[in-house]
Amino acid sequence: MNGRRRVMATVGILALGSLLAAGVLEARVQEATQPSVKPGPAAAPGQETSAAPRPAKERMAVYVLLAWVWFSIAVLLGVLRMRVREADRVHRMGLSRAAGKAPKGPGH
Amino acid sequence: MNVVRAWIEERLGLRAVTAFLEKKEVPRHKHTFLYYTGSSILLFLGIQIFTGVLLAFYYQPTLAEANASVVRIMTEMPLGWLVRSVHSWSATFMIALVFVHLLGIAFTKAYRKPREATWLTGVLLMGLSLAFGFTGYLLPWDELSLAATKVGTNLPKALPVIGTWLTQVMRAGEDVTGDTLSRFFTVHVSVLPLAVLAILGMHLFLVQRHGMSVPLEEERRKVKGPVLPFWPNFAFREAGVWLVLLGLLLTIAVLSAPGIGPQADLMAPAPEGIQPEWYFLFMFQTLKLFPARVLGLNGELVAVLIMMAGMAALLLLPFIDNRPFERKGKVITLLAWAGLAYALGMSIWSLL
Repeated sequence: MNGRRRVMATVGILALGSLLAAGVLEARVQEATQPSVKPGPAAAPGQETSAAPRPAKERMAVYVLLAWVWFSIAVLLGVLRMRVREADRVHRMGLSRAAGKAPKGPGH
Repeated sequence: MNVVRAWIEERLGLRAVTAFLEKKEVPRHKHTFLYYTGSSILLFLGIQIFTGVLLAFYYQPTLAEANASVVRIMTEMPLGWLVRSVHSWSATFMIALVFVHLLGIAFTKAYRKPREATWLTGVLLMGLSLAFGFTGYLLPWDELSLAATKVGTNLPKALPVIGTWLTQVMRAGEDVTGDTLSRFFTVHVSVLPLAVLAILGMHLFLVQRHGMSVPLEEERRKVKGPVLPFWPNFAFREAGVWLVLLGLLLTIAVLSAPGIGPQADLMAPAPEGIQPEWYFLFMFQTLKLFPARVLGLNGELVAVLIMMAGMAALLLLPFIDNRPFERKGKVITLLAWAGLAYALGMSIWSLL
């Protein structure tokens, strides 16, 4: 296993671990009795309304979504890195220029 | 599939665009990272438009409903608080990137001939971005936004002849009222977006017309340096930067969603701790520190005139620093560093 694969595997395991942990936490929240899934009442006049606290269930769902977003970003970055390396290699070899100059076959 | 492609090609002629992108090259040097800032600004502009439209579905720009409708967006709409937070944070990200983009261009002297018009449109776009921030700040209609808008719209009053008229135009009357709110909303959601799209179109056209500028030291070598094809080499790298920025934006938006203060009361005295958005802090602090009278003149007038001179100098920089490439214009660079240090110092002071 080379270094790059090891790093990707570690990142994957960490991401999956965090997702699992988030899932366990969410399960606990769901099992606990919820006073109300609806947002709390708006702040009394003269008080600041803060974006948090939201209902615990919704908050946890957002954290899980955030973990998924970062996991997806990590995967996409891995794919993009491979594509960039391949494109750079093609550029270095001058294949893109050669392809442009290649004679066209009949019918083109 | 080919039939569909041919149908589209026959009508839109997109082949010319793709052929241009295939030929387009991006210079590769130690400042290449600055090229990512321009496209990242576009990304955040797109997010602003998307989240702005979502917010506009529920926002009501009236004296009685503005604050309540924002509270409703935050507490009753599914993920409304997140949409508002992303809108607010993406504005911050966008303006921060606009500053980085502008400073990068200023310090690499990329504004020189033949890119003067690109610089002019860029500075205008920065002004429009700040105008977006200024008009958007009032929309939640809470105590702080009302007080900050009163201070901001009072500023032009110090100008002779047109000052009072300008303030009245901004406020839609003598004072900040519900009319100001609906005027700011209209400007925020229709006038400014149209202006941005028009000037942005010109800016992008000019960037493509002149190609990407290379820093002075690269240009001096007289030999063409290494380049990256825009497609796919640079575009894939750019996509990576976008992904990371999107992740950061979403994380900050979730972890630090902005709240909203109590509804503004037009008769109430200004609350303590009035502060504008972070990008206006240095101006705010300068005004606070300026003495009432300077050399027999109104201190506020002197401060406003100095700021206007600074803005004019920034806009006309390519015509002030129009030396040939062999000379670096060290005084301008020194002044730019001094201006940056001043803005940062004043902003930090204001926060303390």
